[in-house]
Amino acid sequence: MSVEGRKKALRELFAPTVDRLGYKFTPNDEDADFLLEQLANIEAETGVPYCPCQARSKDRAADMRMVCPCIPFHRKHYDAMRRCWCGLFVHKDVTDPDSLRQIPEGRVK
Amino acid sequence: MKKVTIYALSTCLWCRKTKKYFEEKKIPFEAVDYDKQDEEKQKAMTAEMKAAGFNCSFPFVRIDGECTQGFDPAEFDRMLDGK
Repeated sequence: MSVEGRKKALRELFAPTVDRLGYKFTPNDEDADFLLEQLANIEAETGVPYCPCQARSKDRAADMRMVCPCIPFHRKHYDAMRRCWCGLFVHKDVTDPDSLRQIPEGRVK
Repeated sequence: MKKVTIYALSTCLWCRKTKKYFEEKKIPFEAVDYDKQDEEKQKAMTAEMKAAGFNCSFPFVRIDGECTQGFDPAEFDRMLDGK
């Protein structure tokens, strides 16, 4: 499958899952397109669509916590930011994703 | 001038935005793409990030002795101003 085809497939695969979690795709189409392309490339390389903004390790359990969409594994952290770490998904009520800050997990209150 | 170091992933959107932010402010920085390094260097980078109290999410930014994680221009400015 082409990268463009896989990007479209990933979007269709993720949409209902993140909807049930209270999230949606970022309304910033340029960012969403870039991130989906990274996911498609990472999946082609590793077989798994790992988060493009988190480093993989040799620890399978740890790596499973960064398979997109990784929201359930980081619920408190992402809910505090109202977005996931890579920014592909934002809370459903977010209209201006650029206003959201990335907050290190250890600094979430 | 303060020394700025950015640890990044080549696939990370916010790492790109962080590099662009410092470029546009004309602040020199050293950028290291974690995923382009050998295993030994990756281990050293991971150890440094963990020692600073962070996990392995990117970008990781060190400005002199102070560190942060994520794309946060307000935090970068505060660290550059030393406040």
